Amino acid sequence: MKNKNIYISTFLAFAFVLGIVTSCDKEVELSETLTPLQPSNLDEDAANWMPIDANAMTIEKIVNIVENSTPKVFNPPADITSDAYKAELATIKDTQSKLTKEQKDIIEYWSGGGVLRWNQILRGLVARYNLPPAPKADGSYPAPDAENPFADPNFPFANPPYAARAYSYVSVAQYEALKAAWHYMYQYNRPSPYKNDSGIQSLMPETSLPSYPSSDAALSGVTAEMLKLLFPAAVEEITLKAAEQRNAALWSGKASTSDITAGLALGKSVAALFVTRARGDGMGAAGGNKALWQSLADGATAKGEVPWISLETPKRPPMLPVFGKVKAWAMTADQIAAGRPAPPPLTSSAEMQKEVDEVKWYADNLTRERLAIVHKWADGAGTYTPPGHWNDIAAEYIRDANYSEVRAARAFALLNIALHDAAVCCWDTKFYYFNPRPSQMNTSIKTGTGVPNFPAFTSGHSTFSGAAATVLSYLFPSNTDYFQGEANEASASRLYAGIHYRADTEVGLQQGKSVGGFTVAFAQADGAD
Amino acid sequence: MLGLIPTLSFAQNLTDGLMMPKKSLCTGFMYMHDRWTDYWEGDLKRDNGNIGHVTTQSLTWVGTYGITNKVNVIAMVPYVKTKASQGTLSGMEGLQDISLGVKYNFFGKKFEKSAFNTFAVLNFSTPLSDYTPDFFPLGLGTHTTNLSYRLTAYYKIQQGWFVNASGAYTWRSNATLDRPSYFDGNEFVMSDEVKMPNVFDVFVSMGYQKGPLQAELNYIQQNTLGGGDIRRQDMPFVSNRMNMIKTGALVMYYLPAPRGMAVRGSAHYTVAGRNAGQSTTLMAGVLYTIKFDKNQ
Repeated sequence: MKNKNIYISTFLAFAFVLGIVTSCDKEVELSETLTPLQPSNLDEDAANWMPIDANAMTIEKIVNIVENSTPKVFNPPADITSDAYKAELATIKDTQSKLTKEQKDIIEYWSGGGVLRWNQILRGLVARYNLPPAPKADGSYPAPDAENPFADPNFPFANPPYAARAYSYVSVAQYEALKAAWHYMYQYNRPSPYKNDSGIQSLMPETSLPSYPSSDAALSGVTAEMLKLLFPAAVEEITLKAAEQRNAALWSGKASTSDITAGLALGKSVAALFVTRARGDGMGAAGGNKALWQSLADGATAKGEVPWISLETPKRPPMLPVFGKVKAWAMTADQIAAGRPAPPPLTSSAEMQKEVDEVKWYADNLTRERLAIVHKWADGAGTYTPPGHWNDIAAEYIRDANYSEVRAARAFALLNIALHDAAVCCWDTKFYYFNPRPSQMNTSIKTGTGVPNFPAFTSGHSTFSGAAATVLSYLFPSNTDYFQGEANEASASRLYAGIHYRADTEVGLQQGKSVGGFTVAFAQADGAD
Repeated sequence: MLGLIPTLSFAQNLTDGLMMPKKSLCTGFMYMHDRWTDYWEGDLKRDNGNIGHVTTQSLTWVGTYGITNKVNVIAMVPYVKTKASQGTLSGMEGLQDISLGVKYNFFGKKFEKSAFNTFAVLNFSTPLSDYTPDFFPLGLGTHTTNLSYRLTAYYKIQQGWFVNASGAYTWRSNATLDRPSYFDGNEFVMSDEVKMPNVFDVFVSMGYQKGPLQAELNYIQQNTLGGGDIRRQDMPFVSNRMNMIKTGALVMYYLPAPRGMAVRGSAHYTVAGRNAGQSTTLMAGVLYTIKFDKNQ
């Protein structure tokens, strides 16, 4: 009898647990959800805000292109009483009367704000393309080829400097394209379709923003063109998303076909200016060549220093050794050279030995708490990189601020020019001093994350974080303590991981703050505050 | 650890056709040494100079207790240690997942010269320490809570020869990372939570079991029912589709003295895999059986 009870209990336990398992929901909870954007201010004067790089693009320059090209980039809008425009309205009404679930989802997705959505998409692209090339059988590494982006290795290898530059080009081009759209929208003042015809619903929050040319279409065009340059193998995903954004504007009653056609053409024209800048900014030469790699090592040896060597097997050429010469946004080459930190301790010095010993202690005493910090900030291969992490942090604040699209674009542009300039300054410093990683100085140092394949001084994470926290503190001053705290933690995580000396992190953080200061100085005078 | 779900790596008792008699406890320690150099990056077999050989060692306490002759409880607690022979990445060590199972011999039929028995096993495992799920291939495991449903059929003839077949479906909870986003091999996800695919495994063995000796050859196949591949030159990820087929042999022998003392040894080799290491696994252990019911 007693046994029988045991068998029944066993059976019931099996059934009960099966019930729990089948009722469990495995869907993950996503962070950074976006709700329909209702800007608190339309920033009607945005076209007057100062350009990020007046050599690349100003409102005067784009107006000249739009109006003096043959044929014109777009013409002034037809009157809203014209038959042509009425036909456009009829098409929208027809589409709205039979919207599918999929179409409604697309409208909802893009109503969260185009600038924020594209930033999310861009972070995903960086993570997807952030893979180092695999070694060939002979121990050499193939270089990704922009002319053959689908081959193995894919182009690009979206490592931190590449990513920093990509985030900055996309953000700056978006910002300038939206300012250009603002210029024309308030010049022509053509209302949105739902304001011109009561039969058309507004399926996104209503605003009094004019719609010719469509700012959504301008954003889709400028972003797609920049992304096709930076992530050519993702062309399918990019163009589909861009078309979705334009469709969302059309189906929601926000823009008509002619609004969209003009906006798309404007966005593409702005992108062309930044594609030209990108082709001439020095990135093409940033990888260096065998002779240059050798000269860096020889230079360090000549100074009596132990030169950096790759800790990978087989040894990998250093990551973008000439990135320090790539054109910055808010700093001149002279300012970059003048801001280069004083040298780290000599590799043969007692001070250096002390630094190595401290790293060794952290490596040998990697607590779970510190490991969590290391992994929170690792942002290594296969991730959106440290610049992406700071875009991730910024996105929630930008969303909660209910910025207009143009002001949201300004915030990301400011953040990302500072991050790009931080990459340039940090890489300039790294390859100027070319000093070894802790695990090279003491091979018993085992690390809590991968050792990046470039010299130690100064820490990239620290420089990025110092610059980003400075810009975000300017944009959202009431959260300064939080941003500085995150920057300090990101910086310290590299010492905890056993991949950086204390001097790399502390000097890097200072260097980053100084780089961020150049962007803040620009922003304070750009007319947007 | 780039491989088996914990219960399969250590647990002969969960998959075999043997039961401890009522009020008997079989307990002991098993030592495991697992090493691989080549691994499958998706379908591509390769080695990696930045890790060299990856060695996983574990010491596992195991215990099986007979509540009745037909219901046993089985418990395991492994301590795991990993190391890479090359590169800079730090090895890890710590308590892994406790596993608790109930095995129920729900059907048995005796024939003239043979016997057929079937078993159902419900096994639960959950992490005993807060090791990270985000450090493959040197992490200790997936840091998930797992529930397995297993069915086993066992046929043995009088002379001692047997065949055994077992299959299980394992439900796994989601894993939580220390970072706010990740790329899982297919898509970029803005969350620290990772959707973990469930796992199916098959275990087939044949051999001899009579008196103090048990000897068998076995085949183990594990398939993860979803998950992405490791991309070219990427690190493995916790939710990867880790599949493998292993073959091996096991011997267990009850010593003449002291009474109740047994030794067990096994060897396995991974013959095929996907997102898994091609490992050679050796295991050795000592087990001791205590009978609490002196009347038996």
